[in-house]
Amino acid sequence: MRPDEELPLSRELPVDEDVRRELEHHLAERERELLEGGLSPEAARAEARRTFGNLDGVNAECRTITRRARRSVRWSRSVDALAQDLVLAWRLLSKTPAYTTAAVLTLALGIGANAAIFSVVNRTLLQPLPYDRPDELVDIVQESGQGWWSYVPWANMLDLRAQSRSFDGMASYTSGFTTVLTEPGPVATRVASVSQDYFATFHVAAARGRLPAPEEHRVGALPVAVISHDFWIRQFNGASDFARQRIRTDREYQVIGVLPEGFAFPEGTDIWLPIELFGMTTSRTAHNEATIARLRPGATVASADRELDDLTARLASLHAPDFDALGARVQTLQSRLTTTSRSPLYLLLGASALLLLTACTNLASTILARGMARQQEVAVRLAIGAGRLRIIRQLVTESLLLAGLGCLAGLGIAYALLGVFTQLAPASLRLTTMELDGWVLLFTGLTGVTTTVLIGLFPALRTSDASPGMVMRQGGRTGRGRSEQRIWGGLVVAEVALAVTLLCGSLLLIRSFGQVLEVDPGFRTDSILTAEMDLPTAVYADDTKLRQGWIRMLEAARTRPEVARAAMITVLPLTYNPSGSFGIEGVPTGPAGYGPGNGGYRMISEGYFDVMGIPVRRGRDFDRRDVTGAPATVIVNEALVQKYFSDRDPLGLRIQLQSGMDQQGDNWLTIVGIVGDVHHNGLTRPVTPEYFVPLQQRPSRGSSGFLVVRARGQLDALVDPLRAALRAVAPDVVPDFASMDSRLQGSMTDRRFTMVILSAFAVVSLLLAGVGIYGVVSYTAAQRSREMGIRLALGATPVEVRAMVQGHALRQVALGLLIGSLGALFATRLMRSLLYEVQVEDPQSFALAIGLLFAAAWIASFLPARRAARLDPMVTIRSE
Amino acid sequence: MPLFKGTLDVIILRTLSWGPAHGYAISRWIRQTTQDELTIEEGALYPALRRLEERGWVEATWKTTESGRDAKVYRLTGPGRAQLRAELSTWTRYVRAMKRVLETEPSEALT
Repeated sequence: MRPDEELPLSRELPVDEDVRRELEHHLAERERELLEGGLSPEAARAEARRTFGNLDGVNAECRTITRRARRSVRWSRSVDALAQDLVLAWRLLSKTPAYTTAAVLTLALGIGANAAIFSVVNRTLLQPLPYDRPDELVDIVQESGQGWWSYVPWANMLDLRAQSRSFDGMASYTSGFTTVLTEPGPVATRVASVSQDYFATFHVAAARGRLPAPEEHRVGALPVAVISHDFWIRQFNGASDFARQRIRTDREYQVIGVLPEGFAFPEGTDIWLPIELFGMTTSRTAHNEATIARLRPGATVASADRELDDLTARLASLHAPDFDALGARVQTLQSRLTTTSRSPLYLLLGASALLLLTACTNLASTILARGMARQQEVAVRLAIGAGRLRIIRQLVTESLLLAGLGCLAGLGIAYALLGVFTQLAPASLRLTTMELDGWVLLFTGLTGVTTTVLIGLFPALRTSDASPGMVMRQGGRTGRGRSEQRIWGGLVVAEVALAVTLLCGSLLLIRSFGQVLEVDPGFRTDSILTAEMDLPTAVYADDTKLRQGWIRMLEAARTRPEVARAAMITVLPLTYNPSGSFGIEGVPTGPAGYGPGNGGYRMISEGYFDVMGIPVRRGRDFDRRDVTGAPATVIVNEALVQKYFSDRDPLGLRIQLQSGMDQQGDNWLTIVGIVGDVHHNGLTRPVTPEYFVPLQQRPSRGSSGFLVVRARGQLDALVDPLRAALRAVAPDVVPDFASMDSRLQGSMTDRRFTMVILSAFAVVSLLLAGVGIYGVVSYTAAQRSREMGIRLALGATPVEVRAMVQGHALRQVALGLLIGSLGALFATRLMRSLLYEVQVEDPQSFALAIGLLFAAAWIASFLPARRAARLDPMVTIRSE
Repeated sequence: MPLFKGTLDVIILRTLSWGPAHGYAISRWIRQTTQDELTIEEGALYPALRRLEERGWVEATWKTTESGRDAKVYRLTGPGRAQLRAELSTWTRYVRAMKRVLETEPSEALT
């Protein structure tokens, strides 16, 4: 061995050994030198030790330094290696842009859709309400038989509050859109009337000023009001002397307090007044106020429900016949507030989970295909001595890079989707300020990353149980025919099954929406502008003033050249539906003095049916004959006739307004006309009996209503001149304009929202399934290219080979379609309540879904199969 | 005469600039060239060498020497050579300045 030659040890000795040997070498050399200088061996050893100094100290110091040095070298080496891996991974990925794009997009769609949908669900359904201990807050209604419910009458609420043991506070409230006169000017907003314990039940105190005292919750008390933080800022500029402010609705109220920021229950309320001021009815069948309560600790919704059922039964025995409750229904405020949005949101949540599953399946097949193709590369690297860990690290880096890109793109998609949601979402979801939920993003991101990494490891793990040589001898062809075929087949089946489920669901919704659009609302919506308004009681104090107010506004509107016709109604279709009972001439009333009739009560001006295009079927419209002093008249709709006058001609017969309706004047109204039905409660709801009384004769319930105007030209151009014309004759009224078209569209927002989102999911899953099938067929065809080359060489035609490859894939697709359709049959049952005039197992939707998917699968398998069949057999056979 | 702080590093770097050497060779060379004027505890050399290695100014490999023993041989690296140049110029200027201050006599009174 030449002296200069490096020992194999030279790489790196363990630190202790390294130091020990170096120091020993020094001492030995020194000792030898001293020996040569003539010292005795003992003296030489002692002298060497002496001149060296503190041997142990030096030894320890050297070890510390070298340990530290080696650590930092190792760290910087691994950072370098990671950077190298990343660069290598990036180079590999950018060499196959189609694969990379497909994988990143797949991940991004799965992550993005889930994060966005779940953020919405979380925000609307799962987040607790912004009140103290919100799960104790409950809504109470009374049951009135056959699934019907109604508000708890005031007198019953007082009894329940006094007798029940389940609650820590119970209160009644109503709210409505009202014009309020304030010092800065009139403003139209939501005003709530609430009973004494209302704020205590919510555990809310005044942020400024005070809440009404118990003695202010009484008939004849000095009228006081508390306002929302928002209203205080908006209307009074957040001035601290709000207490000198008066606001007027029916009377003048002294502002005494401002509520904490964020408190606005019911939604959007700006002003709260003591309800007791108005004098409460003692009737036990007047359902005017909603009831809220707080469960006492230890009480549950179920136990409270049972207790109220018992109490209601006792009240019934005391107060019959003026009693119409069979029991009570208690539910949490949260579930009460989300009743309408719950099922569509859960549907979308389920759909997005299916989409994530589709995305992961797709990702699995994409990455797996690539991994198999790389098995040979991995085997070669193992054979030439690359460490398995090193290879695994490289594969993981690659997967992580892919997943990172996917997550980034997913974030973008999630934000974009949220933007779309806020545009499309029905007002009930209140998505105007939507934020992405970080946890959801993390969860979906982790799902995607884990899938990517686990499947990305496949080539390394697979070659680990076979010797590299074996894989190489197979020339990269997949060796384990059967089990592998099963994996591929399984992935295709799963993709197809998931996609067909989503597709069936969305087609059912699309068909439903089509059915809804087919519904004739019964009124015109084109060229009609509506203005909701409230005539403040402080100004329009009696019937004469109300009638004059409306007539002045109608005349002002009619003088505008842009207006063809104008009329008014108290309750426009698609808004709400106040109804009342009426007596019928010659038919006995019910036991409590009501009925037998019940229907929607509206007051209209002359020309309303004309503006809205509602046909007068028989008899006549209101006209100049129907004025004060003339015989009282009424017009009814066909649904009312069908229900109550199926056996006789109603024209000329009389009906009687009953309590709750206005009692003054002649209560018996002669039916003078019959008009067509309208879908007052929404296109998908059945038509209901309605009766109309003339403004000229009965203005007393007309303190709020809608102006409806048929325009000659553009509606937009009409708003400003009309507003000006109205302000000139009614400066205290604040009209809220909306076209009838937008009202109709608005009534379908819920349905459209669910349909559009679910359809988008279905289209994406269709695309994913297509891409997945394409990838799998391409890959398997490539693996079998040698076999196909031989077949071609032996005389098979390209068409036969293509059919063979494609047929194999399509058999798996067929299985997926079968499983998916069965799954869909089950899954769509859960969306029954969202369908309209379409059966859950609608054969057309199912056939279309299966057809669409099969077509997509056929194309996705045809392309790679044809390419495989077109290869030159000589080339493919020789290539291996 | 004790060693000024920091001087050992320069001495090692300078020694290695003549060629690779193991620790004992470095220590012997210092002893001989300074003719024992500088008293260095020989052990102090080794932590210093390892610190220089940590900074990347020298690198070490185990080799078998002419005497047949395994020795850890140090060699100056590129950065080490640059460091030595910088230190040499500092030292030379320092020594020159010291010498001038200590040897020059004033031509008149300093006040």
